[in-house]
Amino acid sequence: MGNKQTVFTHEQLEAYQDCTFFTRKEIMRLFYRYQDLAPQLVPLDYTSCPDVKVPYELISSMPELKDNPFRQRIAQVFSEDGDGHMTLDNFLDMFSVMSEMAPRDLKAYYAFKIYDFNNDGYICAWDLEQTVTKLTRGELSAEEVSLVCEKVLDEADGDHDGRLSLEDFQNMILRAPDFLSTFHIRI
Amino acid sequence: MLSDDQVNEIIIEVENVPSRVVPEKTPVNSSFSMVSSISDVNVTDSQSFSSPHDKKSKQLLRFSTSLNESFSQALHSRRSVGIDTPCTSHENIQGQKLIASLIPMTSRDRIKAIRNQPRTMEEKRNLRKMVDKEKSKHSHRMFELNCCAQCLSSISRAYRRSKNSLSELLDYISLWQKTLKVIGSKFGTSVLSYFNFLRWLLKFNIFSFIVTFSFIIIPQFTVAEKNTLQFTGLELLTGAGYFRDTVMYYGFYTNSTIRHGNGRASYNMQLAYIFTIGACLIICFFSLLFSMARYFRNNFINPHIYSRGIAKLIFCWDFTVTNETAVKLRQKNLSTEIRENLSEILQENVKLTLNQQLIRLSAHLAAWFVSTGVAVACCVAVYYLAENNSEFLKNHKDPGAVLLLPFIVSCINLAVPRLYSLFRLVERYEMPRHEVYTLLIRNIFLKISIIGILCYYWLNIVAQAGEECWETLIGQEIYRLLLMDFVFSLADSFLGEFLRRLIGMQFITSLGLQEFDIARNVLELIYAQTLVWIGTFFCPLLPFIQMITLFIMFYVKNISLMMNFQPPSKAWRASQMMTFFIFLLFFPSFTGVLCTLAITIWRLKPSADCGPFRGLPFFIHSIYGWIDSLSKRPSYLWVVWIYQNLIGSVHFFFILTLIVLIITYLYWQITEGRKIMIRLLHEQIINEGKDKMFLIEKLTKLQDMEKRANTSSFTQERRDVEQPGALYVKEHDAAFDLRFRRSVQEENPKA
Repeated sequence: MGNKQTVFTHEQLEAYQDCTFFTRKEIMRLFYRYQDLAPQLVPLDYTSCPDVKVPYELISSMPELKDNPFRQRIAQVFSEDGDGHMTLDNFLDMFSVMSEMAPRDLKAYYAFKIYDFNNDGYICAWDLEQTVTKLTRGELSAEEVSLVCEKVLDEADGDHDGRLSLEDFQNMILRAPDFLSTFHIRI
Repeated sequence: MLSDDQVNEIIIEVENVPSRVVPEKTPVNSSFSMVSSISDVNVTDSQSFSSPHDKKSKQLLRFSTSLNESFSQALHSRRSVGIDTPCTSHENIQGQKLIASLIPMTSRDRIKAIRNQPRTMEEKRNLRKMVDKEKSKHSHRMFELNCCAQCLSSISRAYRRSKNSLSELLDYISLWQKTLKVIGSKFGTSVLSYFNFLRWLLKFNIFSFIVTFSFIIIPQFTVAEKNTLQFTGLELLTGAGYFRDTVMYYGFYTNSTIRHGNGRASYNMQLAYIFTIGACLIICFFSLLFSMARYFRNNFINPHIYSRGIAKLIFCWDFTVTNETAVKLRQKNLSTEIRENLSEILQENVKLTLNQQLIRLSAHLAAWFVSTGVAVACCVAVYYLAENNSEFLKNHKDPGAVLLLPFIVSCINLAVPRLYSLFRLVERYEMPRHEVYTLLIRNIFLKISIIGILCYYWLNIVAQAGEECWETLIGQEIYRLLLMDFVFSLADSFLGEFLRRLIGMQFITSLGLQEFDIARNVLELIYAQTLVWIGTFFCPLLPFIQMITLFIMFYVKNISLMMNFQPPSKAWRASQMMTFFIFLLFFPSFTGVLCTLAITIWRLKPSADCGPFRGLPFFIHSIYGWIDSLSKRPSYLWVVWIYQNLIGSVHFFFILTLIVLIITYLYWQITEGRKIMIRLLHEQIINEGKDKMFLIEKLTKLQDMEKRANTSSFTQERRDVEQPGALYVKEHDAAFDLRFRRSVQEENPKA
């Protein structure tokens, strides 16, 4: 109401507001954060929908993502081509899903994609090994890692096909009510 | 059914749709589990992570049939370059269905549905545009309703805009966002939950303060009498002296009907007092109830499926932690926890001998006996101290002597919980969360018993001792208790934790830094809030005091946390714990407050010459008197009718209780039925998996037989599969180059 911003057209801002969990002000704040990452690259006028991608190296240097063990996967999942370079749309999408207002199912879906390292639609033992290695930073031995993966598959694999499907993952998340508060990046 | 394509491909699609056990409301996720290895065709899942060399798929927007199925279909919808036409029409049909399902929704639901779609921003935007276009097309046809529909839609749009701007405003004045982010980044979600709880309690107090300030304190200011007492500094601690004749205490309030300006507007102080306190409590009650229900719904979904929790450890990494050292520390702690978890699982099969079980049981019983005994002893001590306090006070004229009782109570609250924590050395629990719950129950029992015994003393002895203005005396006691508790918390944070850090870092370095004890701190908050709720009736300014206290406590705890603590080493189930804490806030705490106030209002005689209810036989007689006066005025007879037949009538409450019990019983039975359904569906999933394995084995045998029969007809193109998982590789080998289409009805006779 009476915002004198010249970055987006009114329709663009309305569309963003309807498609993400953010208010107008937050969207503008996020835009300026995005712009700060690459001031030379990102124009201050988005009314003509420029096709600008901020490279992955700059995204992963954000303080919110810098030390996250899964920052590469997060950027890959939310970027358009799966390579980690993000447009403004991808950027807003990412923080919208990771905000506290996103529902459990949406978060579970994207968490599943993040943990699915080989992008085949299932979390198999190899994906689990990658996850555990990233989480423990090489503290566990190889045997322990494979034992952990085995135990996780035992617990969570509902249809016993040796890998976790999205339903298995969602079912397991239901039993972990903390997921909603931990899968959350505050920006 | 081998198709003679250039690539002979057989896909096995097992459709997991339960045929007979179909519940009405649960969304049926028809997930197509693809077990296929396709040679030329790229198995791309959805636009978000299509393989880099498949750019064509970007042009096609894929939607799911219904919103509930969007997730699994988004993940598994196959995009094949070779088989183009049937797929695109299938996708288009699905897209039309989704748009059709979105059109009849209200705009609020539509926006919510679009936001919850697991799609990229571009897809969501296009979806929104398409739906709007279809919607405007539809509305063009309906001329008659054009006017009303447009009115309603513009009203709803305006309402939505105002809601957005209101939430923006609330965000702007929302307290401590940045501080909470910093705390979360270093200590994670669990410690953050304590500060969120503190902020939530602050909201209660702000609300109570605003209500009492507007409706009873401000009117009282307008007819305030002059305060003739002297102010010395000690009053801040004791609450007596100068403060006795201020708006702080019940005794200062007038019982008259305030009139200004020749009797135009009159303000009945009696009614205002009782209704304001009543309204505060009722709104707090409903707010607590709804919060509790919301937490229960989110966090207690399937309590009977308890897992050892290793999957939770892996998949519930705390993304809020962004500080580098904190992340490294957390990774190290996670490794330790995983190792412990693994060793627990390995030891799980070790059964205890009868001897060991008996020893454990006796240790538990002894610990419970001792803890209950200590709590009872403390209560008795407090009671005797309170009883003898009045004589003690008569003998010692020192005004600071009234602080003795609060001092002892605070000492008990400081020392005994730490004693309870020591029991950990003796007792051994199977599950760590049993330990946490036991500790919490013991502590809350102690705190509530102390408050209970004090209330008993106040209501039975002080109120009926015939002293002048006993309500003000009780108000002063509560004020002193609250303040002493605050002083002790400050001392604990500034001195105790600081000393502990010095000891841990300089002298006994093996101890290291301590960890923030969330349970103990939350219980202290609950204890203080209980006192505030009880005390609001006797001391209307108490929410304001508690507001200031909580404000200061936030900053003190924050600073102490940053300086003296290390991040938690064990996983702490923040959501379940929060649910339990809110339940504790409701059940012994708030219900106790309601009981106490109910006894006060219905059974006690107000003091004869101070306060708004002076001279009445009971507090409740103010309401009776009001109803009597209303019954003389013909235009308010409906109020009298409501009072006599709904509030005052036993029959009404009897019928209401009966209806509530019946509804509760029905919901309970529905829940039981749903649990059985869940179990059956779970078994069905397991059976589907077994069937799948069985089919794959059969197929391999079939394939082997055919290979032996016609060794030259099949071309064996092996696609390089990257996933090295053992079972998965076996599946690929088994199902490679084979494609069957079957429906589940044939292969699942167990449904």
